[in-house]
Amino acid sequence: MKKIPIPIEENLGRGHLACAGCGAAIGMRLVLKALGERVVMVFPASCWSIIPGFWPYSSFRVTAIHAGFVTGGATASGIRAALDVKGDDETLVVVWGGDGGTFDIGLQALSGAAERNEDFIYICNDNEGYMNTGTQRSSATPLMAWTTTTPVAQPKENPKKDIMAIMADHQIPYAATATIAYPEDLLRKMEKAKGIRGTRFIHLLSPCPPGWRIPSEICVKISRLAVRSRVFPLYEIEKGRIYTLQEEKRVVPVKEYLKLQGRFGHLSNSQIEEIQRRVDESWDRLQRKARC
Amino acid sequence: MTKRMTFKSVSEMPEIPISMGFMDWNKTGTWRAQRPYYVDKTPPCSASCPVGNDIVSFIQKIAEEDLEGAWRVLREENPLPGVCGRVCFHPCESRCNRSFLDEPVAIHALERFVADDMELRKEKVKREIEKAKEKVAIIGSGPAGLSCAYHLARFHYPVTVFESFSLPGGMLRMGIPPYRLPREVLEREISLIESMGVEIRTGVTLGQNLDWEELKSFSAIFMATGAHLSRALGIPGEKRRGVFQGLEFLKKINSGKKVTLGERIGIIGGGNTAIDVARSVLRLGKKAIILYRRSKEEMPAFEEEISEALEEGVKIRYLVSPIQIHSRNGLKRVECLRMKLGEKDETGRRKPIPIPNSNFFIEVDSLIIAAGEEIEFSFFPKGWERREGILLTQRDGSIGVKGLFAGGDLTSLQRTVAHAIGSGKRAALAIDCYFKGRDSEETLRQILIGEGPSISIFRYLHPDERPMDSHIVRFEELNMDYFEQARRQKESKLPPKVRIKDFREVTSTLPSSLAIEEAGRCFSCGTCNGCETCYVFCPDASILKREGVFLREVDYEFCKGCGICFTECPRGAITLKEEAK
Amino acid sequence: MKKVITGNQAVAYGVILSRVEVVSAYPITPQTTIVEELSELIANGRLNTRFLKVESEHSAMAALIGASTVGVRCFTATSSHGLAYMHEMLHWASGARLPIVMVNVNRAIGPPWNIWSDQSDSLSQRDTGWIQLYCENNQEVLDTILQAYRIAEIVRLPVMVVLDAFVLSHTSEPVDIPSMEEVDRFLPPFCPSYPFEPEEPKAYSVITTPEYFFEFRYKIQKAMEEVSEVSRKVEDEFYVHFKRRYGAIERYGGEKADLLLLTSGTVTSTSRLVVKKLIEQGINVAGVKIKRFRPFPAKEISEAIKGAEKLAVIDRNLSPGVGGIFAQELRAALYPGEEKPVIFGFISGLGGRDITPELIEEAIHYALSHSQPEEEILWLGLKK
Repeated sequence: MKKIPIPIEENLGRGHLACAGCGAAIGMRLVLKALGERVVMVFPASCWSIIPGFWPYSSFRVTAIHAGFVTGGATASGIRAALDVKGDDETLVVVWGGDGGTFDIGLQALSGAAERNEDFIYICNDNEGYMNTGTQRSSATPLMAWTTTTPVAQPKENPKKDIMAIMADHQIPYAATATIAYPEDLLRKMEKAKGIRGTRFIHLLSPCPPGWRIPSEICVKISRLAVRSRVFPLYEIEKGRIYTLQEEKRVVPVKEYLKLQGRFGHLSNSQIEEIQRRVDESWDRLQRKARC
Repeated sequence: MTKRMTFKSVSEMPEIPISMGFMDWNKTGTWRAQRPYYVDKTPPCSASCPVGNDIVSFIQKIAEEDLEGAWRVLREENPLPGVCGRVCFHPCESRCNRSFLDEPVAIHALERFVADDMELRKEKVKREIEKAKEKVAIIGSGPAGLSCAYHLARFHYPVTVFESFSLPGGMLRMGIPPYRLPREVLEREISLIESMGVEIRTGVTLGQNLDWEELKSFSAIFMATGAHLSRALGIPGEKRRGVFQGLEFLKKINSGKKVTLGERIGIIGGGNTAIDVARSVLRLGKKAIILYRRSKEEMPAFEEEISEALEEGVKIRYLVSPIQIHSRNGLKRVECLRMKLGEKDETGRRKPIPIPNSNFFIEVDSLIIAAGEEIEFSFFPKGWERREGILLTQRDGSIGVKGLFAGGDLTSLQRTVAHAIGSGKRAALAIDCYFKGRDSEETLRQILIGEGPSISIFRYLHPDERPMDSHIVRFEELNMDYFEQARRQKESKLPPKVRIKDFREVTSTLPSSLAIEEAGRCFSCGTCNGCETCYVFCPDASILKREGVFLREVDYEFCKGCGICFTECPRGAITLKEEAK
Repeated sequence: MKKVITGNQAVAYGVILSRVEVVSAYPITPQTTIVEELSELIANGRLNTRFLKVESEHSAMAALIGASTVGVRCFTATSSHGLAYMHEMLHWASGARLPIVMVNVNRAIGPPWNIWSDQSDSLSQRDTGWIQLYCENNQEVLDTILQAYRIAEIVRLPVMVVLDAFVLSHTSEPVDIPSMEEVDRFLPPFCPSYPFEPEEPKAYSVITTPEYFFEFRYKIQKAMEEVSEVSRKVEDEFYVHFKRRYGAIERYGGEKADLLLLTSGTVTSTSRLVVKKLIEQGINVAGVKIKRFRPFPAKEISEAIKGAEKLAVIDRNLSPGVGGIFAQELRAALYPGEEKPVIFGFISGLGGRDITPELIEEAIHYALSHSQPEEEILWLGLKK
């Protein structure tokens, strides 16, 4: 079996405070490997305000600027502008925001930046809820999922927001989904993003063992099942209209994905069927877009 | 490496909360509740290999395109890979976990590929120079004797092999026709054994031109004389002219002697000998009809042999049992009874039951009886314990007489080349222990592969390298997310019509490209092959590399024990256990 | 070069002359013409300046926080709701010790909607760690921007330059616009004390535990305490170059006065006329203009009011439940001192209502004729 080639540099240093088996820590480690040294990372509030460690320390081996919750798109715009003024077109600006900071509170700043086609990569580290604050629902939380603000008696009533469609409609040059179980794919997309100017958006699904109520050791497996069940298809959108869909050979029913997660433990068979139906619909929709 | 910092006074602090060091002082290993560690486990292929081949290791070497390495791995356990790759019934493949996904890895084809590839490169084996003082005599140069001789030579003992036939090889030469095992392959591997200093004296028969007195100059003796007596059917007419014994027939054919046969040959029996006889008969330009008293499913011959025979035109009549052989003008009329299958017998096969009054006749020109082989005990001293027609031994091959050991068909009802090689190996080890005054039973136990009975000579010689847990890896312990279905590579075969023209080898060796592809199908069950999946997915960068080299080590200072490496390992080479509190 | 320009144009000239490198702004009346003017000037390519036309004030400040961290000179302008919307980021700018300069055009905060002059917007931000400077005229606006960068970059705190809506922002006055060369001599390029070097990676604004957060806040206070001295030195230098001086406060009128009138912003100009008139009438009165609200110039005011028995403060703002914010700050500032004049706190001109000379005169007369105010809050010009 061939190795998955990943760069050797560890730019997320050890001793960080992520929970055991944190999907986002895997994502961060891989993303930082892909990005290299000449990068300014921008962190609107998320788990990543805590994970790197408390002052006077940080786990990052690259420049990291912690920023207000709302401000990912805006802070990065300012950093880019300043680097441009200083004549530094080598340093990449990359935002790493959570789903709260992207889908919800930071959407305006992100939308503004995307409309201006600001030259940076925005990575939405989506763990489908406000996990840092103890698992509250966000607009990235899937339909019928349990969170501390959508208790089992009244699980989330609304489907997950389609952030990719929103970003695509800004006609940004590049948007792609990725998840940690597919490191080669993630690295390829990061490389591709690096080679493009303008706003580039990576929607990175990172399972959260405590928030999803899964044992830490199946974190990567769940990420893979998200793709195989088509709950989270891997695809790319160029210029807001050219869709490239990565067909997964081994498709599994959503039940395979849902049943391993405590946050879906309350679902009845008919609810699972309903989710399956919606997943199938989204997949069809995506396929239609890819055919256009 | 950053140390913890403390600022006693506000004046020591910077104006802004800007980082001044890294977090690596924070040993997150203390969070750990479960501990992953690398431990290689026993793959089912090796566990089921009577020889004890390190199958996963040699296949991984092929995958890495290190054919010399693959050859060395094979030779750690088996001096006859070219033979085994051809004639072994490969139980390894039947147990291969890959069969749960698609088809087993073509292990036999890969073994053969490596052995043949080395032949192409004409590798020279270094002659062992320093010799121990204890001499060992081996009676019989079949696979058991050769295997024992080879391993004893590796342990630096001077070895003399006595062979009653004029050429070495035993049943490999006498019993197996060249279309399955070309003579040059056999000779190549025997000569490699000889090049290690093993002396083979042919034309020496115990009880005839070699007596027990002469053998007293040896410190130990390994008896591997095989089973050469054809079993009689016990029916009237089987001693008639023109009725041959299967093994005798093969010996003649295989040593180039002429046998006068009619056109239509009946063969009685369902074992490998029967099939070998039938196929050889075809190659002599005759017709072959096998008479077997059970159905195809109960046939002890290897399945592939049977189907090749059928392809070539051998006819098999099932559920018929000869009860008398009549003869008139050379023509044989075999009187048979039709049979039906009853309950299972002690071998697990359904027992044939004669159907009364179902008598009928089959007419043939010649008849060859191949109903199994028995041991010639006549030249053995009295008092050697036997049971069920074999010589009784301990697990290490000792027979209760000091310095005397036995193996091969002599001591086993599982009469395969692989079992013979395995028994020779065990005896070599036992003899070494005997000379060194070690407890061979305990030594054996330490180097068993899985539950045994096969052993690893490599682990005997290198106790600290490649340790292996005896747990046999089950399919469920593998991570199929990393494997996709891929077709098993098949060795090409001559078309049946061409095959039967002569005794040329039917099957050819896999070409290198296909062999490497096939090696890539191996799951490497339980054996870390450095795929680095654990390294890629570790959220805490705690799977170590040094200067870019993967170390198979967990950094317990930082490992939080999430267990992702354990779950993701494609081959179950990582174990997770609860951390001691 | 003298030019007749509006307050907002004066802001734009100040920004251009300061060689600001990144501007980020969102339109809001009455600040809008600053943005327009700057767009025009930057689009004409006169400077190496990037103008981010962001989608909100919050983002405007966030962008500057990013840019300023990288070590470039930054500017934004806003007003009223825009400033309120920025609130979170104002804390962020000072907490990260970024020398951002912002102009706030004073305007009331709704509802009801009201676009006219009122200091409630900027004064609501008094606890955000920003230096606040209130201007009286368009010349002062321009000059204050140049000085603001000097001060901000020395003490590493952001500065808010404040001017009244319309009264200054949209009113044209003659302004002496210095040349770029002259300004360059006064204002050197920004040289951050924590240089941003991607090749020497660091993390900025790292989360801090109770063990050290306290000390970082202490350092902000210490920086605020340096502002008086730093400003004085900067003004001295400014004076050398441009022969103009403003001070944290300015006392005008009679040397010895029983009553002092305290104002900020454009009300001061009206007050000057009233004070002059009353002195001519023989009334012993003087005025104090408070330019710097943060850090509050307690020491300077204590000096200036020595001997006065009464202080009349006109606040164009309201902190509901307390009253005028200047009056409140003044009371707090004077409490530890020996001088304890009677303070008359007037609220006037909210939502842009004119504070006429008559109203100011009324306030002075009220203070003169009462030994103590009859009410905590004295409503000046309220329809009773």
